[in-house]
Amino acid sequence: MTAVTPTPGEAPAEEPALRRALRPRGLVWTLLSLHRAALLFWVLLVAVAGGTLLWAYGPGTDGAWSEYRTMRCAFSGEEDLSCDYTGEAFLALDAATYLGAMIITVVPFLVAVWAGAALIARELETGTAEVAWTQSVSPARWLTAKLAVPAALIASGTALLVLLHRLVWPSNRELLRWLDWQWYDDLPFRSNGPVAVAYALLGLAVGVLVGLLVRRSLPALGISLVCLLAVHFLLGALRPYLWPSVTLTTTEDYPVFSGMPVDDGGITPIGSHVPNPCGGEDPGCLTQHHIVGFYVDHHPPSHFWPLQLTETGIVLALTALAVLASFRLLHHRTAA
Amino acid sequence: MTGTAMEAAALGRRFGRRGDGDWALRDCTFRLPAGSVCAVVGPNGAGKSTLLAHAAGLLRPTEGTVTVLGTTPGAARARLAYIAQDKPLYPQLSITETLRLGHELNPGRWDGAVAERIVAEGDLDPHARVGSLSGGQRTRVALALALGKRPELLLLDEPMADLDPLARHQLMGALMADAAENGTTVVMSSHVIAELEDACDHVLLIGDGRVRLEGPLDDLLAAHVLVTGRDGDLDPHTVVESRTTGRQHTALIRPNGPLDESWQTTEPTLEELVLAHLRSPDAPVLTLTREDEAEEAAA
Repeated sequence: MTAVTPTPGEAPAEEPALRRALRPRGLVWTLLSLHRAALLFWVLLVAVAGGTLLWAYGPGTDGAWSEYRTMRCAFSGEEDLSCDYTGEAFLALDAATYLGAMIITVVPFLVAVWAGAALIARELETGTAEVAWTQSVSPARWLTAKLAVPAALIASGTALLVLLHRLVWPSNRELLRWLDWQWYDDLPFRSNGPVAVAYALLGLAVGVLVGLLVRRSLPALGISLVCLLAVHFLLGALRPYLWPSVTLTTTEDYPVFSGMPVDDGGITPIGSHVPNPCGGEDPGCLTQHHIVGFYVDHHPPSHFWPLQLTETGIVLALTALAVLASFRLLHHRTAA
Repeated sequence: MTGTAMEAAALGRRFGRRGDGDWALRDCTFRLPAGSVCAVVGPNGAGKSTLLAHAAGLLRPTEGTVTVLGTTPGAARARLAYIAQDKPLYPQLSITETLRLGHELNPGRWDGAVAERIVAEGDLDPHARVGSLSGGQRTRVALALALGKRPELLLLDEPMADLDPLARHQLMGALMADAAENGTTVVMSSHVIAELEDACDHVLLIGDGRVRLEGPLDDLLAAHVLVTGRDGDLDPHTVVESRTTGRQHTALIRPNGPLDESWQTTEPTLEELVLAHLRSPDAPVLTLTREDEAEEAAA
């Protein structure tokens, strides 16, 4: 019956071939048009965070260095606590880097809230998803686009910010010591490696799954946020145990170490590690409790990458599970 | 194409948790011939919307199957169009962008001229945001999106519910002209029967999730007689509904053999037919589209 006559597209014929090839089509065009505001917000956020980090890398670091030299605080071989001074340039560099790391850390939550409410649940709530599914687009393809297009934009933006943050993170140990930035602190750890990208993608996957499950914007917004917060804090608490720590022992004072502290305490004559019952190094108390030494479990700086990659792997596995669950749910609900 | 545009076999759909009483559709079996304009009628909550959503591939049956255009609804996605009851459209897009969406999501099928003509006939500003349109204007845009796809099967759920009589008449006219020109099968639900009587040639009556009546409109009307009289025996005939007003006796029957001379007989209207069946849930089911008829139509 209906003779399918191929009709010319709406693209003007004089459009150059390259532009025509790059012009978004189909579901990609649809997604970009429907979420123009979100796209603009994302571009602005990356620009602001990226600009701040670039400033910190250039003028910010230079200013802090010259302030450091002016104060004649140059490292003399011994740690000099008299020089833990903070000046304006120091504060500006610290604040700019903190802002950049903060934005990188908050992005997954923004993504989860947006994906749960605006990307998925609102479409199910108002029935516009059904408009898409009754064009020549299957629900599975619709979901693939909903995941892939934002994932590409979010991952590339976050990766760019992580690279800039790593650029700011000084390679110079002297400046690091002076700034008192620790690689294992929560914000720098989350902002200095692929784990940031993994969390952003998890935010997307969790938001999509919750949106599909709840099908209402406002509850989806709240539940996505709570789910991601739970993973964020749980993995944050488990982080020191995601890679075997290194143990140092001494028979006198607590061992000196550099890196992420995991656990410490006393050693008994039979060699077992127990919590320090004295809370300090009072010799009388220690003798009374038969403490003959001290131990410290910690992650040296060389554990940064193993810890990063393990956490990234776990977060990506959770992301894959959420994506799989989303596809199964949608498949179960709609007709083949 | 086949002679059957849509077919259901023991189709059932249960909502909510396991247990009984939540069946929106139960044991629905029927065929709708291709090229027909079929009215799906029934009271609110009868299962009309659920039935259309299954045909559009939006819901998975709990039991039984639904076949459209000779295949599964999912496989027929590109060849059917569907407009849900509340005419969902993306409010943030303009009319032009909404039609562009039809172009982008129906590659190789989209006929922009048809869609633009329907919008133009409504005197709409193509740059107006869909969110700012009135109910009737939205219906027009939804219809443009559906017809621009050049569907072989058009599924409309309460299409004219929120339109004023003039807009209803115009849109129905545009729809019917387009369907007739292209041989499109139209399946539309409504609980306003008068809206459909002039347009449809096939009827599917759903009550309480089940098929109550199904067949070509003329055959269904011919199979029933509205009888009035003082008294008399209706024994060999199937009585759908009978009422007594004073000493006057009125009944809708399916005659089995010649009628007693004492009865005054008239052919019922579609509305009378539907109302009588809805008031008598125990009246036997009647389906008049048989397999051989559908095959004949295909030949």
